[in-house]
Amino acid sequence: MSALVLFIAILALIAINVPIAIALGVVAVVAMVASHGSEALLNLPLVMYTGATSFPLIAIPLFILAGAIMNASGISRRLVALASALLGFIRGALAMVSIGASLFFAEISGSAVADVAALGSILIPAMKRKGYSKEFAAAVVSSSATLAVIIPPSIPMILYAAMADTSVVKLFVAGIIPGVLGGLLLMAVSYWFAVKNDFPVEQAFQLKRVWTTFREAAWALLLPLIILGGIFGGVVTATEGAALAVIAALLIGVVIYRELDWTHLKQAMIEGGIQTAVVMLLVAASALLGTYLTEIQAPQKLAAAVAQLTDNRYLVLALLNLLFLVLGLFLHSAAAIILVVPVVMPLVQTVGIDPVHFGLIVTVNLGIGQQTPPVASVLMTACSIAKSDIWETSKVNVYFIGVLLLVLILVTYIPAIPMSLVHVFYG
Amino acid sequence: MLARLHRAFERVLEWVVIVLLLLLALEVVLGVVYRYLGNPIAWYDEIASVLLAWVTYYGAALAALKRAHIGVPGFIAALSARPRLAAVLFGEACVLTFFALLAWYGGRVLQLLSGDTLATVDLPVLVTQSVIPLGALLFIAAELLILPETLRDGRRHRRTAAADGVDL
Repeated sequence: MSALVLFIAILALIAINVPIAIALGVVAVVAMVASHGSEALLNLPLVMYTGATSFPLIAIPLFILAGAIMNASGISRRLVALASALLGFIRGALAMVSIGASLFFAEISGSAVADVAALGSILIPAMKRKGYSKEFAAAVVSSSATLAVIIPPSIPMILYAAMADTSVVKLFVAGIIPGVLGGLLLMAVSYWFAVKNDFPVEQAFQLKRVWTTFREAAWALLLPLIILGGIFGGVVTATEGAALAVIAALLIGVVIYRELDWTHLKQAMIEGGIQTAVVMLLVAASALLGTYLTEIQAPQKLAAAVAQLTDNRYLVLALLNLLFLVLGLFLHSAAAIILVVPVVMPLVQTVGIDPVHFGLIVTVNLGIGQQTPPVASVLMTACSIAKSDIWETSKVNVYFIGVLLLVLILVTYIPAIPMSLVHVFYG
Repeated sequence: MLARLHRAFERVLEWVVIVLLLLLALEVVLGVVYRYLGNPIAWYDEIASVLLAWVTYYGAALAALKRAHIGVPGFIAALSARPRLAAVLFGEACVLTFFALLAWYGGRVLQLLSGDTLATVDLPVLVTQSVIPLGALLFIAAELLILPETLRDGRRHRRTAAADGVDL
C-alpha cells in the first residue's frame, strides 16, 4: 500500500469524525494485515504498549500536574498583582498586565490552554469592568497565552523533542529570547491600541508596591526558575525537573501560601490525566503507523522528492511553515506535531536545518494555530470566558496574530534569535 | 439506570487516573532523591514508563467516556441526515473493531509473555502488559455507554464545535 493511499484513508476517517489516534491505528492495522497477513497483528498490542512508555514524555503529565497545583494555590492572583504593580502605570494597563503576567506564568506552565484559563478568568472580567471591549479583552489574553508554549517549560516542545529525537533542554533554552521578544512586541501593539482607544491607566508606579507584591509572588517565581536552572545546568533531566516542580508546587500551596483548593485540584488532576492520555494514545498510534511508514521508507522518499525539487533551505522552511500554518487552522497542536514531525524530519535534516531550530519554528507556528479559527483551542477558551464571539474577537486578534507571525518569520530566518543562547550554553 | 452506570464508571476511572498520576510523580521524585543520596533505584525508569502506559490506557477510556479524544466533527456536521448517520455508524464500527482487535491480540500476547518479568525488578510482564487488553475493553465499554448519545447526535442536525478534544 503506498503512502498516498494511507494518507487519503487517514484523512477520510478523520473527516467522518473518527478520533485522530484511532484513525491512525485503524489504517496501520489494515496496512499491517495487507502486507504481512493477520499474524502481524501480534505486534499491535506490543507497539501500542511500548509506544506509550516513552520516558521523556513523563514530563508532560508532571508539568501539567505542577501547573494545576500552583494554579489551585492562588498563584495566578499573585502574579497578576505583581505584573500590575510593575506595569499598571502604562496606558492600557490591564492589557500590559495580562501580557506581563503571561510572561511570568509561562515559566511555571507549559500549556497555553492552562495559561489562558488561569489568567483569563481573573483578567478578562477585570478588563470588562474597566470598559475594555470583551473582544479586545479576549484577544489580548488569548494571544499572550502563546508565550506559555514558547517560554520554558513547554509541553509542545517536550512532545516535539520526543518525536524528532532531539534535546528538549536545548529547545527550552532556544525558546527564551523568542518568548521575551514576543512579549515585548505584543506589549507594543497593545500600547498602540490603548492610545487609539484611550484605555485607562491603573495605578501610579510605586516601588513599595512592587516590593510587597514581589515578596508575595517570589516563591512562585523563584522556585520554577531554580528548577529550570537545574534542567539547563544538566543537574536534573527535564522529566526529573518536572517531578521536582510538582513537589515545589505542593510545598508552595500547602506550606507557604496555605490556600490549596482541593476540589479545584482534583478537577485539574482529572483533566491533566485525560490530556496526557489523549496525547499518549496519539503517540502510541503514530508509533504503530510509524513502523509501517519506516518499512516502506515513506519519510525518506518524501525528503528525496522535495530535495530534488529544491535544496534551498529558506524555500523548504517557507513551505514547511505554510504547511504547519494551514494545519494549525484545523488541528490541535499536539495532533499536528505527532502527525507531521516524524514524517518531515528526514527532509529537515537533508536540507541541513538544525532540529532544535526547527523545533522552535514548529512551536511558534502551532502557537499561532491555537489562535486561528475554526480550530483554535486557546482563543476559544478566552472567548468562552469573555462571552464574546470567536469571529468578532478574531477581528481584533488579527493584529496580535500579526505580531506572532512576525516572531515566526524572525525565528525562521534569523536563526541567531533562537539559537544564540543555545550556542552560549552548549557550544 | 444507564446514567447511574455511566456516573459510577466515570468515578472509578477518575480515581484510577488520579492515583496513577500521583504514583508517577512520587516515583520519579523518589528516583531523583535516591540518586542524589548516592543510592540510585534500579527500577526507577522502567516502573515510571509502565505507570505512563497505565495512565495512557485507563485515561484513554475515561477520555472516551467524556468524548475528549481529538477529532474533527466539523465535516460530518455539514452533511444531511442520512449520510451523516451512516458516517457516524461506520466511524463507531471502526473504533469498536480497533479496540476489539487490540483486546483480543493483547490477550494472546499476554499468554505468550507469561513467565517473563521486567528487566530491573521481579514484576511479571503479565501485570504490566495487562493494561492493553484491559484498557481496550474499558474503552469499548465507554464507547458503548455513550453510544445512545453518539447516535442521537448523528441523527439530529446539531451545530458542533469545529474540533473535539483537549489541547495543550
